[in-house]
Amino acid sequence: MSANPVRALSRLTGAGGLGRPALLSAVSVILLGLLAPSWSVATLILIYAMAALGCNLLLGYTGLLSVGQSVYFGLGGYLAAITATRWGLQLSSALIVSAVLCAVVAAFIGAFAIRRLGIYFVMITFAFAETAHFLAFVFQDYTGGENGLGGVPAASFGGFGQSFFIAKPGPTFFYMAAVLFVLLFVVLQRFVDSPVGAVLVAIRENESRAEAMGYSIKAYKLLVFMVSGAVTGIAGCLYVFFVGSASVAAIESDMAITIVIITVLGGIRSLYGSFLGAVVYVALDTYLSDLWPYWQMLLGIALIGIVLFFKGGIHGVVLAFFNLVRHLLSRRSSDPADHPNEGASVDVSR
Amino acid sequence: MSSDLLLAQLINGVGTGLIYFLLAVGLTLIFGVRDFVNFAHGAFFVLGALLSWTLLEHGMSFWIALVVAPLVIGLAGFVMEPLLIRRFYNVDPAFQIVGTIGLTLVIQEVATMIWGPANRSTQPPKSLQGLVDLGVVSYPTYRLFIMGVAVVVGIALWWLIERSRFGASLRAGAEDRDMASCLGVNTGMLFAITFAIGVGLAALGGVLAAPTRGLNTGSSSEVLGIAFVIIVVGGMGSFLGAFVGALVIGVAQSLTITFAPAYGSVVIYIAMIVVLLVKSDGLFGKVTRVR
Repeated sequence: MSANPVRALSRLTGAGGLGRPALLSAVSVILLGLLAPSWSVATLILIYAMAALGCNLLLGYTGLLSVGQSVYFGLGGYLAAITATRWGLQLSSALIVSAVLCAVVAAFIGAFAIRRLGIYFVMITFAFAETAHFLAFVFQDYTGGENGLGGVPAASFGGFGQSFFIAKPGPTFFYMAAVLFVLLFVVLQRFVDSPVGAVLVAIRENESRAEAMGYSIKAYKLLVFMVSGAVTGIAGCLYVFFVGSASVAAIESDMAITIVIITVLGGIRSLYGSFLGAVVYVALDTYLSDLWPYWQMLLGIALIGIVLFFKGGIHGVVLAFFNLVRHLLSRRSSDPADHPNEGASVDVSR
Repeated sequence: MSSDLLLAQLINGVGTGLIYFLLAVGLTLIFGVRDFVNFAHGAFFVLGALLSWTLLEHGMSFWIALVVAPLVIGLAGFVMEPLLIRRFYNVDPAFQIVGTIGLTLVIQEVATMIWGPANRSTQPPKSLQGLVDLGVVSYPTYRLFIMGVAVVVGIALWWLIERSRFGASLRAGAEDRDMASCLGVNTGMLFAITFAIGVGLAALGGVLAAPTRGLNTGSSSEVLGIAFVIIVVGGMGSFLGAFVGALVIGVAQSLTITFAPAYGSVVIYIAMIVVLLVKSDGLFGKVTRVR
């Protein structure tokens, strides 16, 4: 075997279990913290990445497109703002409240949505997204309507009136978000690598065959819908503590579309793709929008290209690039005369 | 609640519903023929409105804009179908949606380049300004005109689909593409024309809506939401369904606003959810469905 660095690294990180996703996400957030030009950009990337993780569980792993993740992103945010300003809940408790209640609401919406397939499933999630958006105006005593809810205090961890850690805006908030992201990423990677994840992929690939094998399709779909809602709700909760207020923009269907865009752009079928999608989306939104206000045109062209030619998105491109490098390195380092078959088998399988 | 007010709201609802019909009928037509979910439909509606604004700014009459803008957008659709849209037909519906979201972004940004982000609204022609006394209620002449156009368009489309030779080919192509092809129907041309008619109708709706409300390049998602409510309630792909669905939703929204203003938009999306759960084919699914 050749000892090229790319392969060695992949063997090191491919140790299985929690090691690889933990290392991958930890290195990524450290690089993000070092390279991102501002703490707020870096933090926003992590929040969007978390929201997209939820969407990716549904679309990438189970094959279900939800155009309604805004429900959980917005609801998680409103819950954070309401509990923080009215009851003085700290971020740690608000995260739990948002995750649990978003999972409950996702169970409610999911129970309806999973009764339908394909386009009708999408339409139900879309209809709930619009309903939730307009309900935010109906219940404006709680949501603040068009004005939103301001005065969300600094994010802190603790309980019973005591806080042991306050994440002030800036680097501290980013560190906190980074830890949360790594935790979430590792847990979700474990989830999709588990037997449950395998069933989800089976549903994506061939629903009737998975059902014929005895799996309760609806139970699995409902479960992943709830997990997805909770994850996106956590992102929404964090977002409100990050910007200090909750606004109706977070629960509009445009937010759901944005989350789908980030997910597909980054690459479905890989949780890490959601992180890459958020990096690219926020970077373009922050920098390119000043230089060229019509930057979303590029986004649109990229989406069309991904759908038609390259479903793997950015993650797929990166992966293809690494495979190419690996392939070239292995060709150079191993003498074809010594291992006539190895080179050929690499050619075929990669 | 006086019965006069109720009647007035009913007429209002029918008026809104007929505008909604123009908005949604193109979407249902395209879906009915190729099961293609066009999330960019709202963008074509807005393009029609903006194009008519430019034509009016250049001193052309409303009547010219009413004909030219939908024709131009329809032609654009005719060119776009073989170049791009056709490639989406065999893609999973979820990715059709993602792809047409991408198309929406492209159209929106091109429109913003040309027209800027500001709200554009046009004036109806002098002959259509003012009110008409309907006995119980005075109704804006222009809105009556829109209702008339919607009815005419509805009848013309019905004739086109159900009675013309083109319609026969269209229904055959929707039913069994390969067989229609074998029998000498140019299905590629058929689908290009269908797409052109669909987006042209969206543009017509935009031209007609521009005087009643301002439209900007960002309006497309709001418009798209309503279009989907209607075609889902009526039955996706059903022409008659789009007509009845639009009237039902228009009246339901109008009456809800009378009694509980805050719930006007909530109620139509709840209606959409209920229809999807009870009968996802909608009111007229399969019965008069194009395919």
